[in-house]
Amino acid sequence: MAAVEKLSFDVLVVGGGIAGIETAINLGNNGLNVLLVEKDLTLGGKMIMLSKVFPTLDCGACITTPKISEVARHPNVTIFTNTVIKSIKKQDMHYFKSLLVRNPRYVIESACTGCQLCEMACPVVVPDQYQYEMVGRKAAYIPFSIACPRVAAIDIEHCTLCGACERVCPPKCIDFTQEPIEFQVIIKAVIIATGFNLFDPAQIKRFQYGQAKNIITAMQMERLLAPTRPYNHVLRPGDGKIPDKIAYVLCVGSRDRTVNNPICSQICCMYSIKQAQLLMGALPMADVTIYYINIRSYGKGFEEFYEQAKGMGVNFIKGKVGTISEKENGSLILRYEDICTGKLKEAEHDLVVLSAGVLANQDATGFFSDDRWEKDEFHFARQNDLFFNPALSSIEGVFLAGTTYGPMDIPDTILSAGAASMEAIRYIKQMALKI
Amino acid sequence: MSSPDLKFGKKLVKYGAVDFNACYNCGTCTAVCALSNEEESFPREMVRFSVLGLSEDVKGSLKPWLCYYCGECSTHCPQLAQPGELMMSLRRYLISCYDWTGLSGLLYRNLSAYIAAFLFIAIGIFGLFFSGIWNQAEWMHYGHLFEIMAIASVFTVILLPNIIRMWYATVWKQTKKLHIKTYFLSLPELFIHMFTQKRTLSCNDEMSNKIWWFEHFIVVIGYMGLLFTTVVLDWFAATNILIIVLGYFLSAVVFIVSFHFIFNRMRKKTEKSSFSHPSDWFFVIWLLLMGLSACAVRLLIDLGLLSAYFWLYLLHLTILVQWALVIVPFGKWTHFLYRSFAMYFDKIVKDTANTAVRTV
Repeated sequence: MAAVEKLSFDVLVVGGGIAGIETAINLGNNGLNVLLVEKDLTLGGKMIMLSKVFPTLDCGACITTPKISEVARHPNVTIFTNTVIKSIKKQDMHYFKSLLVRNPRYVIESACTGCQLCEMACPVVVPDQYQYEMVGRKAAYIPFSIACPRVAAIDIEHCTLCGACERVCPPKCIDFTQEPIEFQVIIKAVIIATGFNLFDPAQIKRFQYGQAKNIITAMQMERLLAPTRPYNHVLRPGDGKIPDKIAYVLCVGSRDRTVNNPICSQICCMYSIKQAQLLMGALPMADVTIYYINIRSYGKGFEEFYEQAKGMGVNFIKGKVGTISEKENGSLILRYEDICTGKLKEAEHDLVVLSAGVLANQDATGFFSDDRWEKDEFHFARQNDLFFNPALSSIEGVFLAGTTYGPMDIPDTILSAGAASMEAIRYIKQMALKI
Repeated sequence: MSSPDLKFGKKLVKYGAVDFNACYNCGTCTAVCALSNEEESFPREMVRFSVLGLSEDVKGSLKPWLCYYCGECSTHCPQLAQPGELMMSLRRYLISCYDWTGLSGLLYRNLSAYIAAFLFIAIGIFGLFFSGIWNQAEWMHYGHLFEIMAIASVFTVILLPNIIRMWYATVWKQTKKLHIKTYFLSLPELFIHMFTQKRTLSCNDEMSNKIWWFEHFIVVIGYMGLLFTTVVLDWFAATNILIIVLGYFLSAVVFIVSFHFIFNRMRKKTEKSSFSHPSDWFFVIWLLLMGLSACAVRLLIDLGLLSAYFWLYLLHLTILVQWALVIVPFGKWTHFLYRSFAMYFDKIVKDTANTAVRTV
């Protein structure tokens, strides 16, 4: 490992999703020097993957990319992608010291033009995690077309070191000798915007996810509906058939004590309704059925959005699906109790979408060893003062943005990023007076 | 619709129900239940009745008996509302409803009543012995006579009226029609289910379920056989080597299998065995003790030591009387009877409804 580099900023923002981006822009606009750290190869988090967003049906990519460009060009914001936080420690009343490790891309970032010749030359194909494993990508790759930075990276785990990319790269920016670089950063305040994880439906065996070919997660459906979609059409992955009957199973891994996640994820009802509406547009002849326990359309314009879906002909059936079994032709039999009639029923669908719930991302737990990082019983960050200072964490000088402290939708995430930025600015100013 | 019984939920807790109020009506329990079907969807309906206090609807339903407690519903319930255990508790509750003496309910709700009844019987027998009214041979004779009397009287005085009450609540009140033909045609159901419990096998395909069914089947056959051997063939007085060996074999089957049941309940590895009401413990333990003590008594007879260890016979008799007068008429034993009749009645209700449709 190369020698430790020392840096200093006003604020460290952990997480390059929409919460982190919004916070970094807010802080940068207020004249603070910000270091934005993202563990993935690109900024954008989960939002950049979305086809459209509820309840306005704006294109997810179209409203995320301007924010990403803004933060990427911001004079006060430095961005480290592919970087993990080793530790954050409070030095004294005013400063934190953080250790970061910037993992190698094996591509010289400043030299890469994003021409994708390496991608074409690379002989190794692996499942594409940015298309949720529905198609393949190369081991030398650019994550996706609107990635930021739009720079190639080598997936060293799968790379065979054949050197094909090296030979075709026009600026000769591929460098297999790169090593992780350690940074020591001094900052005044920290924003935790590490976001959430999605529940892995394979954990619930009776839903057959990963076993039956035509069962996908809602995030995979999000990709199928996006402009940069893998098959350029909504097709079921098993045999490429255009699905006629699509089912949504809500509350997969949320409101479920058997998987230790008894809370509501708050977004699944709405994103499922949104996808149902988009499907009505993409596949006008298809039947879309949503199996729910309760529809929670609690936000501004949400109930109207739900009514709109019903008006468009989306079927809503009250009753959680109990078991899914695959037929020989790849179609699926859903067994459920229709709560409105109290009768057990079975229904056949071509494609089943599991609306997986939101789980806490617990990365931040590993950052703090000396200070007390508190979590709530569902492993989200504990808010010190829920009503009057919702962005405060249990550590003074560390603030919370977005789904770090609980499931929420995009508008709420933006609001919470605003609150976190404001609290951080107030805190830094207050500390400056105390010198 | 009947008015809700506001104390129903609290009542069910005494019969062993836990956490059923956590239900948020998603229907997962019904959807994962292998025995549930379009005509008969359960257990959520029963959970709903219990939460709302609709005790009359529960009393008129045969659905609690259609469940064989594989435990899938409890495993998958997202609210951990234990629907499987609720169904078990409803069966206990229904037993107390069918019982005209009211003693079933009393014994199910109060452990102390159970213990008092058992103590009363034990003191009675040992008191009688120490009063010295009968000699050992007379004790053996009256003991055997008691078995015959107990079987006849418990059945005619308690169980038969209870089955009629069950029929009234679940068949007559629901259909108000009497098709004698259906009663005859459905009769095979009663015996098939009584002796095979074959519905258990439809619960799930897991090996543990099959083993459980097999053990249950064996213990039913063993128990019935032991009853026949001791009562009709008079095992303790028998001289025929075949009868003696048969008795040993059957009592060994009973105590070995019931020992395994107790072991399962202690380990709590399956949903079925993770909650144990006192009545469940009494049932399995007394079954074990009965098989074991019967075996020991016959062994003493064969070794010619019975007169020296006569207290063991008295102990066996005590266990037998407790079994025959408490567990059989008012305890878990009745499951065996009501469950088979429930299958029979269910067939009658369905066929009656079908004939009604056809005649219309």
